[in-house]
Amino acid sequence: MVACSFWLYKKRTRRSGADRASFGLVSARSRSAAIFLLWAFVLFPSAAHAYAGPGAGFAVLSSFWAIFVAFLYSFYALMTWPFRQLFRFLRRRNAYGKATFERAVVLGFDGMDPDLAQRFMKEGLLPNLAKLRDKGTFTKLRTTFPPISPVAWSTFMTGVNPGKHNIYDFLACDRNHYLPFLSSAEIKGPKRHIKIGKYSIPFGKTEIKAMRKGTPFWHWLGKAGIFSSVIRVPVTFPPEKFQGVLLSGMCVPDLKGSQGTFCLCTTRSSNDKFREGGVRVPVERKNGICHSYVPGPDSPLAAKAGHELRVEYEIRPDPTVNQARLTVGSEKFTLKLGEYSEWIPIEFKAGLGFNAHGICRFYLKEVSPEVEVYVTPVNIDPGHPDLPISHPVTYSIYLAKLYGAFATLGLAEDTWALNEHVLDDEAFLAQAYGNHQDREKMLFDALDKTKQGLCTCVFDTTDRVQHMFWRYLEEDHPAAREVPKERRPNVIQDLYQRMDKLIGRVMEKIDDDTLLMVISDHGFKSFARCLNLNAWLHQNGYLALKDGKTESGDWFEDVDWSRTRAYTMGLNGLYLNLKGREKQGTVEPAEAEALKEEIKQKLDGLVDPDSGAIGITGVFITGNVYRGPYTDNAPDLLVGYGAGYRASWDSVMGKVTAKVFEDNVKAWSGDHCIDPRLVPGVLFSSHKFIEEKPAIVDVAPTILKLFGLSLPSHFDGKPWNLAPHSAPAKVAAVTPAT
Amino acid sequence: MLSVVVGLVMVLLFGYTSDQKAIGIAKDQLKAHLLAVRLYRDQLHVVMGSYGRVLRGTGRYLKLAFKPLLYVIIPITLLIVQLDHYLGLTAIQANAPFLLTVRVNDPRVLDDVSVGLPPQIAASAPPVHIAAENQVVWRLVANRHGDYEITVNAAGQSATKTVRVSSELAWLSQERWRDHFWERVFSSAESALPANSPLESISVDYPERNIALGIAGYEMNWIWLFFILSMIAGFIFKELLGIKV
Repeated sequence: MVACSFWLYKKRTRRSGADRASFGLVSARSRSAAIFLLWAFVLFPSAAHAYAGPGAGFAVLSSFWAIFVAFLYSFYALMTWPFRQLFRFLRRRNAYGKATFERAVVLGFDGMDPDLAQRFMKEGLLPNLAKLRDKGTFTKLRTTFPPISPVAWSTFMTGVNPGKHNIYDFLACDRNHYLPFLSSAEIKGPKRHIKIGKYSIPFGKTEIKAMRKGTPFWHWLGKAGIFSSVIRVPVTFPPEKFQGVLLSGMCVPDLKGSQGTFCLCTTRSSNDKFREGGVRVPVERKNGICHSYVPGPDSPLAAKAGHELRVEYEIRPDPTVNQARLTVGSEKFTLKLGEYSEWIPIEFKAGLGFNAHGICRFYLKEVSPEVEVYVTPVNIDPGHPDLPISHPVTYSIYLAKLYGAFATLGLAEDTWALNEHVLDDEAFLAQAYGNHQDREKMLFDALDKTKQGLCTCVFDTTDRVQHMFWRYLEEDHPAAREVPKERRPNVIQDLYQRMDKLIGRVMEKIDDDTLLMVISDHGFKSFARCLNLNAWLHQNGYLALKDGKTESGDWFEDVDWSRTRAYTMGLNGLYLNLKGREKQGTVEPAEAEALKEEIKQKLDGLVDPDSGAIGITGVFITGNVYRGPYTDNAPDLLVGYGAGYRASWDSVMGKVTAKVFEDNVKAWSGDHCIDPRLVPGVLFSSHKFIEEKPAIVDVAPTILKLFGLSLPSHFDGKPWNLAPHSAPAKVAAVTPAT
Repeated sequence: MLSVVVGLVMVLLFGYTSDQKAIGIAKDQLKAHLLAVRLYRDQLHVVMGSYGRVLRGTGRYLKLAFKPLLYVIIPITLLIVQLDHYLGLTAIQANAPFLLTVRVNDPRVLDDVSVGLPPQIAASAPPVHIAAENQVVWRLVANRHGDYEITVNAAGQSATKTVRVSSELAWLSQERWRDHFWERVFSSAESALPANSPLESISVDYPERNIALGIAGYEMNWIWLFFILSMIAGFIFKELLGIKV
């Protein structure tokens, strides 16, 4: 840039004397003229002679490069647009020719409860949802068996029952080892390694296999030439190719490969381990300066597993002003007590050029007398994704460049940290609503970009906040007994109002040619009592422990499989220890049906002896509720807990305890993994549907039908019909009401 | 080597004087709009909207870059001017003719201009008077390497101009000016002519100097080489230092 002035000067000084004289006009004038010239050189550099020196020069060059590239892209898009449109027309005819709506906007409010929505609408707290109810539809939406998010959202997108999409829980059971594995995706490192000294160098790609089967309905739309923007719908990791853009949601792992492992860095010495979801990392203090580290993934170069990569960082606490200065790599920032950092990029270096890129946020918990910093799980960096988290890969990069880094972890709101009292209520909410705001920005960007087609976005905040704050809704929830009633905040009411305001802003962006649907995958109920099904199986002779043991460790440690006929892991599934299927199976296949029936009979209506309430309101044999090629992968029985009950924390992790029933005193105090008949979701829509008992499985066929597409024969859902007067004006004009 | 050092210094200077966070955001947004054109290429309203945003974003980016550019512009301009005295011109070769041009401020003085030459320099042709441009031009030849002073007389006053005859790299001043502050800053390495002098300028036409690339006889002006090397160095250093430019 500076040199551009030089070149100009040079050109001039080598001209004739007359030119020289004319150049001299600057000389005797004011300094302002010189400054003006500098401005001119910067803003209007001569293309041929502009030496835009290092630093300054990059600015000019890169900005013109951006314009140049944009121009090329735009030119290409403009020139080829008619041909592409013609090609489409010839191939598929007019994609929107038979469509009832130009656009469908489907907002998923994970876990929005119809009873609470009804109550708040009645109190006048949700004016926008009430408008939808009055003008269009508000009804309960039947959920899946079991009513768990990955199951229900998989059904939402594929239009089929779990027997056809293969997702039955967050976790599935490895019948060879009686251990869980993530049900939605399998990530395998490169198969080949070459050992050189201490290194084991991987060759080939990391393999990510989607476990969810079935075809999301936006693929059918894409094949018909209809564009979709799909944001954070659960169980969309790994992302699949289709015509549109997609950002993966629930089930995206963190950089460690877990579903979210937070880190508490502390000067307090403790040998206690968190039950799940987090690790404690020591902070070393020397001369007032503290050092700690963020644990990362295992080194891909280590010959043996367990060699954890780390990023070290420095904390300089200043107790006088309740803040600390943190240095993480090249990032330096100051945090006040009780404040989160922005997303900080961190890079785990394994050596030989093998690096993993992540982002995390730091939260200053304490500066004196002890120093404590909470670090969120290390999310995959959306601007530099080491694993594919979007389709196309550039979509997450686009969003990160446009709005800054954002949470990519499937379960981004750190419920475990609140459960373990590492975060308090306010810190958790700040984190959850921070993520929520990012999601809103993505939604509105997608709405702006998708004027035709499908725009769908799932918000998890509704689910996480209800899970963690249901305790304040009830008079005597075990998890809130220590909090006086007058100090209990209206967190859930506030949540519903926020969602209502979001709906209001979305309604401002749409017209009559857009169908707006607001759905939830399930509702919510209290989780006040835990039921350890493994303990019940043990006490009723279906599960045996090794001699002398009265309890087991996690994942069936000390279970005697040779005498065990049934076991449970995960949230609702119950498995027979079937010969030929389980590694140490004991139940003959011929006896299986009778045993299922026997257990069903005993469990159905199980009463909590302490309260007299029914802990289990329904037990379902999966063979009766599922149809499809993957039914064999399902648990043998699904347990439908009663309202107020859920599988105990220990039972979920395959632990046998002495007591069957106990209070749930964790902040995670509301739940939905119960009898699906008790927790339907919601359906709001801007246009009225005629359907008495809509179900989440019907959404996919309904959308396809509204876009004028024929329905695949394997669909289990049935499309809803629009009320005649509710069709958009252009359709109503040509379609006589019947 | 100098290019590399300049690359480093300029990047550092840019880094310290700019709003790195804002520049980072502006650049990211530019990239986002470019990606939008690609992601939504079938949607014409997005493509055209993104193009508009790229233009606006570029303006914002340049605005952010302007302050650090101001800090960088002065030292690098002066540096390049000085380097050009050394690298941009070739000294007069022995026995090769060159022109000495004297420009006066009053055409009536033209006939009164003469030069006093040292013994090693001789005129190879009579002076040419260009009345329309107030100039007198001499064609001269030096027969030996060295630094010489040529005296120019006009209207009873005299002034000198240094002429450097050499086959080596040399510090060269093409012109000597009266007044003309900016011209002197940019093109002269000599003191100004007296303010009351009838002479406007005295110049020697040192030929431009190119650097042989050693590839198919190609030559390049030093500034292009300087540009390329300092840019490469700058790119490397900005990455190493994490400075957003």
